[in-house]
Amino acid sequence: MTFFKELARSKVGMAGFVILVLFVAVAVLAPWLGLEDPTRGSLRARMVPPDWWGPHPLGTDEVGRDILSRIVYGSRITLMVAGAAVVAGGIVGTFLGILAGYAGGITDRILMRLVDIQLAIPLMMLALLVVAALGPSMVNVVAVLALTSWIRYARIIRGQVLSLREREFVQSARAIGASGWRIMLRHILPNVLTPALVVATLELARIIVMDAALSFLGLGVQPPNPSWGRMLADGRTYISTAWWAVTFPGVAIMLTVLGVNLFGDWLRDYFDPKTRSAR
Amino acid sequence: MSDPLIEVRGLRRSYGGGRTLLGAEKPVTHAVNDISFHVMPGETLGLVGESGSGKSTAGRVTLQLEPADEGSIRFEGREITGLGAREMKPLRARMQMIFQDPYSALNPRMKVGAFVAEPLVVHKQDAHPDRVAELFRMTGLDPAFMSRYPHEFSGGQRQRINIARAIALNPSFIVADEPITALDVSIQAQIVNLFQDLQDRLGLAYLFIAHDLSMVRYLCQRVAVMLRGRIVETGPVEQIFADPRHPYTRSLLAAIPVPDPDRPRPKREIFDVSANIPAREAAMAEVAPGHFVLQP
Repeated sequence: MTFFKELARSKVGMAGFVILVLFVAVAVLAPWLGLEDPTRGSLRARMVPPDWWGPHPLGTDEVGRDILSRIVYGSRITLMVAGAAVVAGGIVGTFLGILAGYAGGITDRILMRLVDIQLAIPLMMLALLVVAALGPSMVNVVAVLALTSWIRYARIIRGQVLSLREREFVQSARAIGASGWRIMLRHILPNVLTPALVVATLELARIIVMDAALSFLGLGVQPPNPSWGRMLADGRTYISTAWWAVTFPGVAIMLTVLGVNLFGDWLRDYFDPKTRSAR
Repeated sequence: MSDPLIEVRGLRRSYGGGRTLLGAEKPVTHAVNDISFHVMPGETLGLVGESGSGKSTAGRVTLQLEPADEGSIRFEGREITGLGAREMKPLRARMQMIFQDPYSALNPRMKVGAFVAEPLVVHKQDAHPDRVAELFRMTGLDPAFMSRYPHEFSGGQRQRINIARAIALNPSFIVADEPITALDVSIQAQIVNLFQDLQDRLGLAYLFIAHDLSMVRYLCQRVAVMLRGRIVETGPVEQIFADPRHPYTRSLLAAIPVPDPDRPRPKREIFDVSANIPAREAAMAEVAPGHFVLQP
């Protein structure tokens, strides 16, 4: 397959791809990895420092829960929340972007002013407001993250559609009497999937960080379920005495975001016909 | 004489206008300014003129791909200006368009077989692969190409795919907007022959938009010359070539290259377009049967 052949030629893209696959695989296989229960603590084993070959390779937290296990189980929640938010935001944003670009006129104006309004409000504040009002739950967090995300798709996709709309194959579809829906679904959507995919990878990285931030502020997934941002918040208090409680979740966040960004960068080049022919 | 297949009267279309946010008036461009023409069933009318003369706009408005500001378009005896999308849809099957740029006219993400079949699907007709294969053969394409994507084809093949799509619904009228301009000279003749072949077999009428006059002479029975949104001269093609009356037509004809170096070139009259914008009140006069010229 050309995809993997091309990927193998880019060290950076490959690195990002490997990191991502590794994290997803670990998250999926978590129950079968023989890890400790991430929610059960042991007060006799509080704040055990990392011991690479012992029972707690990355140490334990302030109530004696295994940090490695919490990071692995936390990745399930983080990746699920981030993935769901990217998909939801991507679908809504792409759809509204196509609608604004193709329909034009008053529809376009209303949607784009909505985007402008939302851009004027700091995203974190918007997220805080909504979660505080609706209460923290996984569904609400996904909804809030998707809400902060759709505008980025909508803007970029709308721009693409404005130029696609004038292409002759779209005119030709109108000349055969195809309906607006048909033109949007069959002729425009397939031609904007590539930019949408690229936005999605960039958004995935941003959403992981934002999810961690929400959890850090106590508005994400609720304890005792592990989440990376929550671990950072809890471990922060002990940073001078138990550096591992805050360092390892931080490293996990950093690695995931790095992986997504590296892979996303490569993906953008891969789909760009200009850089493609230059190789 | 039978009734025309399509008859256009007093068509106008302008762009721009209105006011900016600060109240300044935006300039108005009259792309098509009061033109009238008709096409008989099975006939080819050439529409010629320089870039920006409004030929393409005239073609698009004739098919109601853009609304007309003013004027009437009667297709098969029925007024089609102001029809809604639903009323227009059955008529869309009878009139089609072929575009100038065969690269941009195909959806790069759609297999060409599905692209040719799309009109049949939209109009809920038989879109069986056999029917699509027949369309491919009619336009000189190998039906085995049906499952390929557009980027695998040359310009000439792409234009054949566009033609196959345009004839899928058995239209009676096709607007061809400079269909050969973007092609290699060696391919142009093949495509022109395909146009003639399909006209003979299907009884198609064409509005053939072009700026290559020698091709127009070869393909068309009548010709209309456009200048700055107006038709300045129209008539039977041989009549126009033998006896051009309008100075702009004369200068267009003089610009045709003569392929024989020993033959003297006709004396060239340089026509200054900007100094000769047709006056608003100018009217057409018949100088010979069917040959009309805009009077200065």
